[in-house]
Amino acid sequence: MATLTNDQIKTLEQSRQRLVQLTRSLGSLIGSLNQSEPLPPWSSLQTQASIISNNLVSVSELLSDNRDLLSTLVAYPGPEYPGRTQSNALQQLLRTKLDPRVEDWVERGRVQGTEQANLSTANPSVPAPSAEKLSEAELASLWEWAPLAANEEARRRDWGANYTLEEREMGIENVVTGLKRTLEDEEEGDEEDEEGEEGEEEMEIVGVHRKSGGGSGVEFDIAPHHAHPVHPVVPLPDILRFMTTGKMV
Amino acid sequence: MMSHAECSPPRHTSTPIQVAFEVAPTVPFVTMGDTFNLPLRPHLEKGDHHDTLPAEISQINQQWGSFRDVNEEVLLAKMAEEDAAGGAVESIEEEDENEMTTTERLEELYKKRAEMLQFAMTAHTEATMALDFVSLLLSKWAPRQAESCMSPYLKHAVPLGSIDVDIVNPPPLLDSVAQNSKAVSSGWRLYNFNFASKKLLSAAGRLENEVDIEARYWDSVLEIKEQGWKICRHPREGQTLAVQYGFLEATPVFRNRGLATLRRAHDGTLNLYKGLVPPGSPFVRVSVLRCSTVTGSTTPPASLSDTAKTIHQQILHARDSVFEDELFYELLREAKSMMDCGVTTRHNSIQIPVTDDVEILLELVDAEESLRDEPENAQLDTQLAEGVAYSMRILLSFAHRLNHRRRIRPPAPLASEKPRTPEYHLFRPSLAYLQHVSQARCVESFIHGITGVMRSSGFQLPEYTTEILASLKINQNLPPMTELSALESLMINFLEPIESVFKVNLLTPNSSFTIKMRTNVLEPPYGTHFNVTYDLPAIPDLRSPGNLEMRHEVEAAVTHALLLDIVTKVSSSNKKSSNNMKQWEAIYPHIGELRLPLDYDTYKKMQISLSRDNLTISTNLIHSPGGRGFGEAFQRKKTVESKTWTLRSSDNPNEHSSALDFVAAETA
Amino acid sequence: MHELLLFASVPVHQHAELLQQLAGLTGMQPRHCFERRLIFKAYRKPGQPNARVGASQDLQKGDLQRVNKMLNGGMFYTQLVGSVQSAHFGAAAADAVAGGAPAAPPADPDTNMDGMDEANPPLPRKSYDFDQQRWSLEFRDIPEAGTRSGVTARVMATAALPAVDVVQLMNAWGYSFVTEYIVEGDMFVQNDTAIYLHRVLHYPTTGDQEIRSPRRQLPNLDQMAPLEKTGSYVLQASITVQDSTNQDAMKTASQHLFALREQLRSAVKLEPADRLALDTRVK
Repeated sequence: MATLTNDQIKTLEQSRQRLVQLTRSLGSLIGSLNQSEPLPPWSSLQTQASIISNNLVSVSELLSDNRDLLSTLVAYPGPEYPGRTQSNALQQLLRTKLDPRVEDWVERGRVQGTEQANLSTANPSVPAPSAEKLSEAELASLWEWAPLAANEEARRRDWGANYTLEEREMGIENVVTGLKRTLEDEEEGDEEDEEGEEGEEEMEIVGVHRKSGGGSGVEFDIAPHHAHPVHPVVPLPDILRFMTTGKMV
Repeated sequence: MMSHAECSPPRHTSTPIQVAFEVAPTVPFVTMGDTFNLPLRPHLEKGDHHDTLPAEISQINQQWGSFRDVNEEVLLAKMAEEDAAGGAVESIEEEDENEMTTTERLEELYKKRAEMLQFAMTAHTEATMALDFVSLLLSKWAPRQAESCMSPYLKHAVPLGSIDVDIVNPPPLLDSVAQNSKAVSSGWRLYNFNFASKKLLSAAGRLENEVDIEARYWDSVLEIKEQGWKICRHPREGQTLAVQYGFLEATPVFRNRGLATLRRAHDGTLNLYKGLVPPGSPFVRVSVLRCSTVTGSTTPPASLSDTAKTIHQQILHARDSVFEDELFYELLREAKSMMDCGVTTRHNSIQIPVTDDVEILLELVDAEESLRDEPENAQLDTQLAEGVAYSMRILLSFAHRLNHRRRIRPPAPLASEKPRTPEYHLFRPSLAYLQHVSQARCVESFIHGITGVMRSSGFQLPEYTTEILASLKINQNLPPMTELSALESLMINFLEPIESVFKVNLLTPNSSFTIKMRTNVLEPPYGTHFNVTYDLPAIPDLRSPGNLEMRHEVEAAVTHALLLDIVTKVSSSNKKSSNNMKQWEAIYPHIGELRLPLDYDTYKKMQISLSRDNLTISTNLIHSPGGRGFGEAFQRKKTVESKTWTLRSSDNPNEHSSALDFVAAETA
Repeated sequence: MHELLLFASVPVHQHAELLQQLAGLTGMQPRHCFERRLIFKAYRKPGQPNARVGASQDLQKGDLQRVNKMLNGGMFYTQLVGSVQSAHFGAAAADAVAGGAPAAPPADPDTNMDGMDEANPPLPRKSYDFDQQRWSLEFRDIPEAGTRSGVTARVMATAALPAVDVVQLMNAWGYSFVTEYIVEGDMFVQNDTAIYLHRVLHYPTTGDQEIRSPRRQLPNLDQMAPLEKTGSYVLQASITVQDSTNQDAMKTASQHLFALREQLRSAVKLEPADRLALDTRVK
């Protein structure tokens, strides 16, 4: 039995905290799956998955950052441990063998990784003819570049706009929309509008439709939005009074 | 725990705990693939698809919609790829997908949900185990915090701080172990990058495909719009476009049939969905019957042919179908209000008597089956039938327009009784015209006949004038300043009472008579009415017959006027030639009797009779002792000599070539 | 006759859109119209010399009865309404134009052929002849107090006046001219309901000179200024009921107005008007 340094305790404490977060987010996923029929909204599922993924990354980072420190520690049951009654629990707690499914997963990763390593080291003098034959350095730089590039590409797109990037480059006046009204090009609009009304001027097709549910009559779908509302300054009663008597009061 | 850490590859890659999670939710993906029955997918590839979903979630930056969508997208894109690679399998699979019932889909969904839940729980157990271990370990130093994180079971079963820890020199990291970790790490990383890139590419491909499909659909929509149809949002399906081809002013049951949904098929072709519309191509056929035999009928327009292929043709077909249905409905309504005119109706036909031997038959038939053997020499009656058919359709459109005007006019005050929609006038105008023209032709033929008799008899009767349908002022300039379009003014002109005028100038100078015929189109009294006016200054006490109802009355009035004219002519024929000549005296002009006194008790009596077919003049020398006295003297009257002139055919000529010669001879 | 109404204020930025919505709702194109409105005020207690003065003999019998009833019931504001064309604005007065075409009276819907009576408006003329302007007398009572919840209901009557000097006629009836304005708007019809999206236009002010009689000429339209400075409109939905004792008809009318209110809910808020704002009594 050794006494741990503060650093070691701190590291363990950190890993405990991160595991707490992970278990919580997993628990919350289970909870929301249980509570919704049949599934939670996809956006909420996605958010939760993303949180779990971040938690995993954070645990993983901590473990690998403190690899040297943690690998000097060896845990074993103390004398207080009720080894006779709780040996199963002990085995679980101190288990170092991977779950078979995980083992399988690792194995498949290893196979793929080894194939790649063999490919890239087998004949380094021959230039790689295809993506599968990149050198380790090339792979590393590709991996560094790819997420950034993908992200950048994604950001170049205005995912909710009326025109595509290509159409804008071609000149939006050439686009046949078939609409009588003019679509707003938000990119230009943003430049002009410094107050930054972030696309609130989105033109909606205002339509009328019969009421659903068998009732007669029609209703409007969308309350109109206006960029620059001008509200009357003279109240309605005053207008009516003038129309009736020719006087405002 | 240690070995876990050893196993963990460098930063940013999966940890064992992640492994547990990652394995989990990817299985639905694979199973979904199974459900779609993709026989072409190699088993190896199936294995490759393990463990991808979490990677995708973290790496694709939330741009691609829900899990399920992404999976489906990938699948669809994959299928498209396979299809492009040359397999007809794809379409079959798509059908399979479509054939999946809602219940099956729901079952599938719940199955996946259960799996998802199960994997999440496994991951949770694993993570809890790790947390328990760390917490128990830490409970030696920080019991309070550590205890709070331990699972209730462990807290209960194991005392705090019962795990010890030793510090050892770390065993040197074996190259093989490091290599191994690296291989696992880069293997998965490589796989995930490949996967993400494949997925992005296939998603892009699918989007492109989708853009093509959408473009095809919208091109069709635009084309419809450019053809002049009104495109609108469907009133009941907010997200669907519809084309309006019907008639807003029609009776509600037909007005509501005027809209069809523009649906997008899988490949982007546009389908016209008309809802619950009776199938077939209704067509109102107009036939002319003479003596109960069809002598001419209309044929359906090409637009009603059911073989319409293009969307435009389909819309035209739908429009014309609803119009024909409405037309017949309104014709039936009108027919029922015209029972008193001898109109009879059956379920799908209306029979309208026009003249004694002509009838019009209106039938609602299917355009496809309506072709009828063309009767011989039917051209004229086919034209007649077409005329009636056109006028009915124009009048229905006109009725729509009137409805529109009525609808947008300031509303009348609300009263408890709703005004009934009056029947439209769809065939009554045609009927009025046909009857009027038929009557006019009869009158004309009569005048032609009787004046012909007179001419043949040697009377130099001036030409008469005929103005059939004098009331139509089609060529006149219409008043330009009204809001009514020229077309509407024209229609109104057609619907005004129809008039025809005959003016017959007589032998006597400045004398004539005029027949006016009038037939109301829209309002009672229906039927043709006549008015005969005499302008005979020579007979001052003569009164015009005025309004007459029956044609034979008109004929009698015409005969009467002409007879009077002949009498006048005869009685004045010798006046100018010689003052000494004897003079025929019109004793009873109205019955055509003249007298030529010869001496005190002898005179000649002339009797003129005129009919459509003949003119007869007979003279009798009458000896009447006692001179002109009547009464008892009548008894003593004696007919001495009798002569007759009558119009004969040229092969059997008269002694005198003309009636006037005969008269002259008799006068001498 | 009874009139049931709902009103809404329509900000100017919403006007174009609402026009389209109403056109879609009613399935008709808006009918743009201009009305001259002359406000008159009773100066004499009722029960004094009756309406048989001046040009009364030119009134139709039914109209005469209505006028008598309208004018002798109490001290009220009442107005003359005359329809004008946009071409009349800025047009020379007829008496200034030699041989100006006589102004055709607006078509009376009842005298024309059924369905064909869409006021065939006289062609834009170069002149405006005040003496030929046809007027109808519109009497509106103060709305009923709280008897019908949810709608404004009031007694109304309208009578066509003969082509005479209407100011003189009104004076003879005990009414003096107060002021005048123009109503510009678009009319829609949905079954029994008349929907009128309109606003009041002021004549340009003529210095401090007070106007004592209606103008004989109309200024250019661009010189007219909206009463409500921002240019907002009033939406009025109204249904008339012939016989107010007919409870079914009154109920139907309210229901139709409520249905319209629901249909337009997301666009405008139709409400009954402030009763006192429509008070026509002379105090």
